[in-house]
Amino acid sequence: MAYYWYQNDPELYKAEVMAMRKYFPSFQINQLQDGSGRLYWRGKVQPTGEGGMVWDLMLIYKNDHPHASEGEYGGSVQILPIQPRLKDIAQKMMPILEQTYGSYENCARRGFGLGLPHIYRNNFGRNEEYFICTADPKYFKAGQNRSTSAASALSWACKWIMLCEMWLNGEISDDVALEGNY
Amino acid sequence: MNSNSNDVVAARRRALAEALRQGEPVVVSPTGEVAKKEDVQDTGMATIQVPNGKLA
Repeated sequence: MAYYWYQNDPELYKAEVMAMRKYFPSFQINQLQDGSGRLYWRGKVQPTGEGGMVWDLMLIYKNDHPHASEGEYGGSVQILPIQPRLKDIAQKMMPILEQTYGSYENCARRGFGLGLPHIYRNNFGRNEEYFICTADPKYFKAGQNRSTSAASALSWACKWIMLCEMWLNGEISDDVALEGNY
Repeated sequence: MNSNSNDVVAARRRALAEALRQGEPVVVSPTGEVAKKEDVQDTGMATIQVPNGKLA
């Protein structure tokens, strides 16, 4: 059996490409040059429409796609904003949050340990990067007949971006942003 | 971006957030723009419906 999901399951690979071509035709697929064999999509989105921020995103498949396990937020499609970089935004927000909640420990207890709601960190290349934490694993579809595709993960990420922009602009409270019940 | 367009974008975000909170179907266009399904269903644009469920 081949190691990579796209070799093991060429039909799933075709379905992934078809979905992205249909719903996000400006995104391009490529392979990471880090020896991991992982595929990724890259492109730009503007979730709040004209006048809103443009986000340059990478959607990176894990090699066990489609898969989601407990604590693996976002499932097997990782979403990494290249521009703006989440780590940069989070580092700007952390002092503000520490001032609001009194200490880093309090921020962490509230769910703001990384400086933004609904993000997680992971190694990427030589750096540690912050990724969009999109779907709770229980919502990630990884069955034999149906799986969460990069296209649906990206749609979820667009919703996250919109809510994140609202939170950064003070349009929704910390509680609402943390609840994530959208 | 001037304050008028800031206001327009903020108003659009508020309307969408409210739609999401009410459980109304929300879709994403090929440019990544989030919109209420009812607002784009007659445009013929290929849109993907955002799956239901909480953010993790």
